[in-house]
Amino acid sequence: MCSPIIAKGDHFLGARGRGAAGGHESAASRYHTEMLRNTVDSWGAPAKLFHWVMAALILAQIALGVMAANWRVSPAKLELFFWHKSTGMLILALVALRLLWRLANPVPLLPSGMAAWERAAARLGHLVLYALMIALPVTGWIVNSASNVPFRIFWLVPLPAIVAPDEPTADLVAEVHGGLAALLALVLAAHIGGALWHHYVKRDTVLTRMLPWRTP
Amino acid sequence: MTKIPSLLWLCGLLLTGSAFAADWKMDPAGSKLEFVATFEKTPAPGEFKEFDARLRFDPDKPAGGSLDVTIKITSADMNIPDVNKEIRGKDWFDYAGFPQAEFHSTDLRRDGKRYVARGTLTLKGVKQPVEVPFSWTASADGAVMEGELLLSRGAFGIGLGEWKATDTIGPDVKVKFKVKLRKG
Repeated sequence: MCSPIIAKGDHFLGARGRGAAGGHESAASRYHTEMLRNTVDSWGAPAKLFHWVMAALILAQIALGVMAANWRVSPAKLELFFWHKSTGMLILALVALRLLWRLANPVPLLPSGMAAWERAAARLGHLVLYALMIALPVTGWIVNSASNVPFRIFWLVPLPAIVAPDEPTADLVAEVHGGLAALLALVLAAHIGGALWHHYVKRDTVLTRMLPWRTP
Repeated sequence: MTKIPSLLWLCGLLLTGSAFAADWKMDPAGSKLEFVATFEKTPAPGEFKEFDARLRFDPDKPAGGSLDVTIKITSADMNIPDVNKEIRGKDWFDYAGFPQAEFHSTDLRRDGKRYVARGTLTLKGVKQPVEVPFSWTASADGAVMEGELLLSRGAFGIGLGEWKATDTIGPDVKVKFKVKLRKG
């Protein structure tokens, strides 16, 4: 009855021991330690959780934003904007945590055999994704501040203004926000296309190592 | 000969009616009429930039006084350009149909340290009985009356059609006023 618990404990100690000794350990213990931290060839559970939660939020966010911007003036439009803004601030908070986690962890290596330009494109694509995950909420925040709309994130946290109320600023930054969203859609298409290309054409582990139910 | 006694009698009637109630005029520079709606449970403040209050009032003997207020509805400003455009329309204030709101008291009374003006508010063509509580602060050059009351926007047809729903834009609107008065 107790053996699984003891076994888990052993693996946990094993994980600690590895850092100190840097020696060998069983495949089973590596399985458990790599549940959390990234390694040079796998993503840990927190990195996967960040990836998929934010993927879902970002897709929902794009849909909310497109609907909010195009809906006729009505309570529904205001509701859509409310959820779009709240989700945006949630994404901004999550991307800050995600960046900290990424900086504190190794990043799995790209598969060998990729051309230099492919590596450069992959790095640039991910850099742009992170930049947009920050720039989109921040420009949205600027639009909200400049348009002087009172807003509490999920009805709870009042969002402080980061710029003074000014209609031309609101209009201009709203254009920038829309342009960045279009860029995000393009880079996301490349991101998803790239993952599928790695999986079906290159037949490497780039896609599968990010799947939540797989542990290479 | 009969004219003088009757005039005196008329004066006496007016004096007993109003006791020592003085006439007060509003100083627009020191006065403010604000309203606070709610949007997604968050206060959304606005202001009527033009309004006028006339008061006959003796703080020691409020009965017999009167308060009359006219509000230029078209001077509403909610600090958000898109909202300011929206509230002009028929669903909201209907600037074209009802450019002015009025309050006329029927009686004034003391309520503890404060006062209450009871009367009728005409807003967007709808007449509703309203109680306006206020404090009175006398100063060397005049007085300041301040107070706030809660109005239900639905009672005045402000927010029609799908805007009647109160989950996005709340049902209550707080009205806050500070009126600087001079004797005159």
